Amino acid sequence: MNNRNDLKSLELTVGDVFSKNARLKARNVNVFYGNNKAIDNVTIDIGSKEVISFIGPSGCGKSTFLRCFNRMNDTIDSCVVQGEITIDDENIYDKKIDVVPLRARIGMVFQKPNPFPKSIYDNVAYGPRIHGLSENKEHLDVIVEESLKRAGLWQEVSDRLQSPGTGLSGGQQQRLCIARAIAVSPEVILMDEPCSALDPIATAKIEDLIHELGNDYSIVIVTHSMQQAARVSKRTAYFHLGKLIEVGKTKEIFTRPQHHQTEAYISGKIG
Amino acid sequence: MFNFYLLSSVLLISLIFFFLGNNRAKNLVKLNQKNLHSLTHYYGVYSLLVSLLPALGIFFIFTICDDLIFAELIKKYIPKEVVASKDYNFTIVLAQINNSVEGLIFGTPPKWVTNAAEIWISWIHKSQIITVIICISTALISGFLGYKKISGNFRSRNAVEKIVMSILAVSSVIAILTTIAIIFSVVFESIRFFALIPYDEFLFGTVWNPQFEGAERAGSGQEGLSQYGAIPLFAGTFLISIIALCVSVPVGLFSAIYLSEYATSKERVFFKPLLEILAGIPTVVYGFFAALTVAPFLRSSGSIFGLDVASESALAAGLVMGIMIIPFISSLSDDVINAVPQSLRDAGYGLGSTKNETVIKIVLPAALPGIVASIILAVSRAVGETMIVVMAAGLAANLTANPLEAVTTVTSQIVTILVGDQEFESAKTLSAFALALTLIVITLAMNFYALHVVKKYREQYE
Repeated sequence: MNNRNDLKSLELTVGDVFSKNARLKARNVNVFYGNNKAIDNVTIDIGSKEVISFIGPSGCGKSTFLRCFNRMNDTIDSCVVQGEITIDDENIYDKKIDVVPLRARIGMVFQKPNPFPKSIYDNVAYGPRIHGLSENKEHLDVIVEESLKRAGLWQEVSDRLQSPGTGLSGGQQQRLCIARAIAVSPEVILMDEPCSALDPIATAKIEDLIHELGNDYSIVIVTHSMQQAARVSKRTAYFHLGKLIEVGKTKEIFTRPQHHQTEAYISGKIG
Repeated sequence: MFNFYLLSSVLLISLIFFFLGNNRAKNLVKLNQKNLHSLTHYYGVYSLLVSLLPALGIFFIFTICDDLIFAELIKKYIPKEVVASKDYNFTIVLAQINNSVEGLIFGTPPKWVTNAAEIWISWIHKSQIITVIICISTALISGFLGYKKISGNFRSRNAVEKIVMSILAVSSVIAILTTIAIIFSVVFESIRFFALIPYDEFLFGTVWNPQFEGAERAGSGQEGLSQYGAIPLFAGTFLISIIALCVSVPVGLFSAIYLSEYATSKERVFFKPLLEILAGIPTVVYGFFAALTVAPFLRSSGSIFGLDVASESALAAGLVMGIMIIPFISSLSDDVINAVPQSLRDAGYGLGSTKNETVIKIVLPAALPGIVASIILAVSRAVGETMIVVMAAGLAANLTANPLEAVTTVTSQIVTILVGDQEFESAKTLSAFALALTLIVITLAMNFYALHVVKKYREQYE
């Protein structure tokens, strides 16, 4: 079994990397930290209104790759991205692209809940305010309420919108961060291990939420938990040492992995 | 020299005990084949500390006390007619005797002074011998006792831990006691001042015009000659401080933001030390920069616009003082801005904020308590600053809000009052202490407030 893929696996990804109604397309993406190659020649499509999870052992580059989609890697001095990533056939690494509206189109939720040290209301209103999305105060109130409702937080916080966002529990904080990302009405939401700092109950709530949001947004979720990937996503991509090893329907990846490394990972031999 | 030899020999004795203790521990291991509680060198260090510390303590007590005791004893040797005379002052007589002891003889001192000095010298010799005997024997005895204690079961590691802890505690107590002593010395002189001049005149009077007139002001019919209203001084202090803050807060804060948010790590490594050099320039250098460069420049550029700028103006002193406190604000603010978690910045960027929006709307509000604290610390620094204002702000106690005029500050008045000859009983001299006390109270209050602000908002992000 080992011989079957060993040579090819260095260059080729197993499974179907392309998607019929692709929204984000990554073509031959390489990422370097200084002289270190963190992502090696990755090509993948992310479909419209699709939930896809990136799995793989620690340090395999899945978070780095995720951060290419909204150019968050720009904030790291030594990081260089090569290749092409397009959103609706527009290259986001084009020199003409303004990164600020791009990041409004592609929202992000981080590993550790990071609400601003401001009130719950101001946390959610931050994005609409800087992008001028609301016409007046009432409209802003509507946006805030709508976003909190979609994030499943409205019932818990509607009576204390002016209390600090940092006073919420970890799970509530993470849903607040999701509400904050939704408030600018993005097309894609990137989630970088959104549940790794949360307890199982809060995790379950977030997973339900991802499930629901998947009806309206493209969601890319990086996760350490294979059960989580299995629960929330339709497609799964397995990364190893900066390479995209295998992409496929979640069910098939977890039941019939094509590549021996994927199999080794999901059966707990690497990790 | 004598003290140096004595201390060296005490140190030598304790070093010998170190080796003795160390060897004894090693021998214990060899002979008994038994494991000691601690590593052998801990036994050595224990013997060293046990022999050194008591001897040092006794040495310092003796050195501090012998002058006090001698001063008490010498009273017997001052002739009765001298004590009885009208202008007898024990402090002056003591100074005379001490000068004579040290060989500083001015003119021909009276016979009894030379006698007393000889007696004093003989006491010094006796006390030296006693100190040597007691110190050395203490070092030997306590060192020997510590050495005897060494056995397999003795926990020298814990004992050394305790001794080290008490050394650290004593050091911090010394620092606190010194602060208290400074405050008390100022308080006592201030009480004497307020016995001569009423509180309300000092705190609320608007004219500062001290004159030497001795302690007999009250009831001598001289009221009105001197006036001790401190308001012009504090007004001047705050005027200059405000000008200084107008310079240093924007410049310091902006450079902190640049350094922590915009500069690459290479630029940061280059610029930050350069900025901190400002803090290393002696204030007297700032003083003549203000007096010789900035003030004439302001005067000449003022005359272009038809403004009458005094050659010693609050503006010149304030501007230069502002430059001086830039590093306090920039360095502290840089630290607190750096302490804002990167995750908050990421969240801002992730929502599509520009760098500027992230700094203004997220980073600065999160860092605000620390920034406020740095500004308040800079204010107390500006209020207490002396050299620049002495050289550049003038000495005229004008009550004015016009920065182009000469003003004076609390600190520069204290300097002018206490520099040179002064009679210690006069209200003018004592007023320096009252000013200092008020200044201490104000700066302490500001520091407390700064700490309070920091504490109150510290846990905002986390």
